[in-house]
Amino acid sequence: MDRRSFIKAGVAAGVVAGSGGMAAPALSQAANRTLRFVPQANLANFDPIWGTQYVVRNAAVLVWDTLYGFDDKLEAQRQMVEGEQVSQDGLTWTFRLREGLRFHDNEPVRARDVVASINRWMPRDPMGQLLRALGDELVAVDDRTFRWRLKAPFPKMKMALGKNATPMCFIMPERIATRFDSFTQVNEYVGSGPMRFVRNEWVPGARAVFQRFDGYVPRNEPASWLAGGKRMMVDRVEWVIMPDPATASAALQNGEVDWWENPITDLVPVLRRNRNIAVDIADPLGNIGSFRMNHLQPPFNNPRVRQAVMTALSQRDYMTALVGNDENLWKTLGGFFTPGTPLYTEEGGEMMKAANLERGRQMLRESGYAGEPVVCLVAQDQPITKAQGDVTADLLRRLGMTVDYVATDWGTVGQRRALKNPPNQGGWSMFHTWHAGADAINPVLYNAVRANGDGAWFGWPNVPAVEAEVPNWLAASNLAEERAAIGRLNRAAVENVVYAPTGFFLGYQAWRRNVSGIVKGPIPFAWGVSKS
Amino acid sequence: MFAYVVRRVLATIPVMAVVALFVFSLLYIAPGDPAAVIAGDQATPADIERIRASLGLDRPYLVRFGAWVWDIMRGDLGTSIFTNLPVSTMIAQRIEPTLSLMVVTLLLAVSVAVPMGVVAAWRQGTVIDRAVMGFAVLGFSVPVFVVGYVLAYVFALELDWLPVQGYTPFSRGFGPWIENLILPAIALGTVYIALIARITRATMLEVLQQDYIRTAKAKGVGQRAILFLHALKNAAVPIVTVIGIGIALLIGGAVVTESVFAIPGLGRLTVDAILRRDYPVIQGVVLLFSFVYVLVNLVIDLLYTLFDPRIRY
Repeated sequence: MDRRSFIKAGVAAGVVAGSGGMAAPALSQAANRTLRFVPQANLANFDPIWGTQYVVRNAAVLVWDTLYGFDDKLEAQRQMVEGEQVSQDGLTWTFRLREGLRFHDNEPVRARDVVASINRWMPRDPMGQLLRALGDELVAVDDRTFRWRLKAPFPKMKMALGKNATPMCFIMPERIATRFDSFTQVNEYVGSGPMRFVRNEWVPGARAVFQRFDGYVPRNEPASWLAGGKRMMVDRVEWVIMPDPATASAALQNGEVDWWENPITDLVPVLRRNRNIAVDIADPLGNIGSFRMNHLQPPFNNPRVRQAVMTALSQRDYMTALVGNDENLWKTLGGFFTPGTPLYTEEGGEMMKAANLERGRQMLRESGYAGEPVVCLVAQDQPITKAQGDVTADLLRRLGMTVDYVATDWGTVGQRRALKNPPNQGGWSMFHTWHAGADAINPVLYNAVRANGDGAWFGWPNVPAVEAEVPNWLAASNLAEERAAIGRLNRAAVENVVYAPTGFFLGYQAWRRNVSGIVKGPIPFAWGVSKS
Repeated sequence: MFAYVVRRVLATIPVMAVVALFVFSLLYIAPGDPAAVIAGDQATPADIERIRASLGLDRPYLVRFGAWVWDIMRGDLGTSIFTNLPVSTMIAQRIEPTLSLMVVTLLLAVSVAVPMGVVAAWRQGTVIDRAVMGFAVLGFSVPVFVVGYVLAYVFALELDWLPVQGYTPFSRGFGPWIENLILPAIALGTVYIALIARITRATMLEVLQQDYIRTAKAKGVGQRAILFLHALKNAAVPIVTVIGIGIALLIGGAVVTESVFAIPGLGRLTVDAILRRDYPVIQGVVLLFSFVYVLVNLVIDLLYTLFDPRIRY
């Protein structure tokens, strides 16, 4: 107990003794049933289909449940679903819901709620869009059964419904899912997950509160990420929004919060020195740093210029700038997918690891680069983009390129990167970002690696050889076939420099030692977490 | 006087209209797109366009401005693009912490700075005077966030006397309320104390040279009465002016202070809204701040009449 709490407890005990009550132990017990959590960002909206930010998803998993859920082996396990049957031809899926599922308004979860929720989710999700195109009929058969008839087999059905990449297929009441389309924000936050959202305590930018839902029936299996029994060990979870890392660090040290999702690397040594605080890797799937070049405009419309840059870049430089000298926190990449996941491959990825400035200079000279300025957008309000942008600007200058470094904010990058104009007319040549490792595990979830021209992500790479492997991966019936398709995709993506990965990096999380049950994962899972 | 007040209140209408036009136009031409932020990285350009249309951001400038002004005239500040909450609700949620911080800072600053300035002037050239001026220079030079971090480190982390962050509403008791405000108020008030102390000293030095002060001394009036009853009252007009101007300083400083001490006030609301391009919130908060500033200036003008009977409106 810290000094301030001790003094307060003493005062409280005195007051209670005087009044004949016994509130001090009760107060302490109540405190132990409340988990105070500092999330990565502000919960500015709370519709996980309309707003696809990670922070919204992380809060949404407390409130809304899913049909399937990824476990820590990235395999989709049944969650709301009790079982499913697939017809011989693979065209009809029949799903049965678990018994006893209830929404927070105490209405039972019915198959028609699921159908409405899937219909709302599909237009916003890459896998959902595939399913929508393949779909023939999605209907509720009875209260607990729904059937999905497809025009072609879709072996990745459970993955689509259980993945943790945003937007996840959350189930909400039919009356809400049909009233608001995918592009309109809901104004009722009713789910069937283990916690209720306490709307009247929500102060966007400051606090979000979740209360345990007594009607939730967890599965019997042990929890593993989004799969298994989501048992809440606390009654209340309070999200305390702290934009300033130094304040979050001080609050954690002072015992004012219990768990901090993403301490910055600079502050980790300070936290480690405190014997009341534990620090560990947050998400083993980590992140992939990246910068994207504009394939439509000079100089990066020339593949040889892109190859020169990729050959010269040193992922070590980027990673050191991002996470410091702790080599446990990063690794270099020879491929585009998340290392350690089943589809990671370095096939054809030698250029990514070359880090050869001299060779890059020579390639640039041979490319016909005529000194066109590179308009390099760097968001200064995001530490990850700022650090990468500074390294890139230095790299390009050393390579012999003309750099127009545009220091701006993330909101402006978000708008400007959508413009296809020439760089000197409001367009751009390159911008920096990063991708969650959890999203970079297959080519459908991972739109950054797609190269379908106008339909591709910003930069608009057009590489048919990459796109040809996406249906091959979807149709693959086993891991060996999947890996073969992804190997070919990786080779084509590297050769054409779809984008430039700058390395794979991990982040930390930190918590008070009186908190137990915290696991490493792509989401800060609050189930199974208790306080003493 | 009453006619003057009515005239001044009416004069706020064109001022607010200009502010509204200016803010709206600035935001209209500023880069950034809330639809892109909402849609997230996975979104296609078509998704972003649909969101933009659903938010009405694809409408022409005049249509949007007209709709916004019409809503304001009906007392509706609009709805936040991100939270889907009315801007007035968001402001109401945040106004108490900011108001509390500003009031406590103002009280602290005035009650510390004015005596400091008076004593420094009274003891001109002595160690006390130099100490006060040294503090003033330091207080003016050190950024608010540095003062905040140092205070949090010493009084929260090392001594564990006060909390590092947060805000407790006044309704939960004076103790918890003030506990959360002491460090932020000192951090925010430091620069304000420096400013007021310097002005008080300078004005007092001028007043203390006046003939009537010499007369008072010759008549045997006590030192305290000379300083606080005769001199300070006559030095009050510039001091009150600086206090009024300083309100704007406080509003600006509150943005930083609220971030450092994680106080859920209007300053943080503004910054969050700007970073996300939440136009209705930015417009609502800027209008509110402008209105407060106009109002403070009016109050200051009226206060002049209290301190200087020669001033009449």
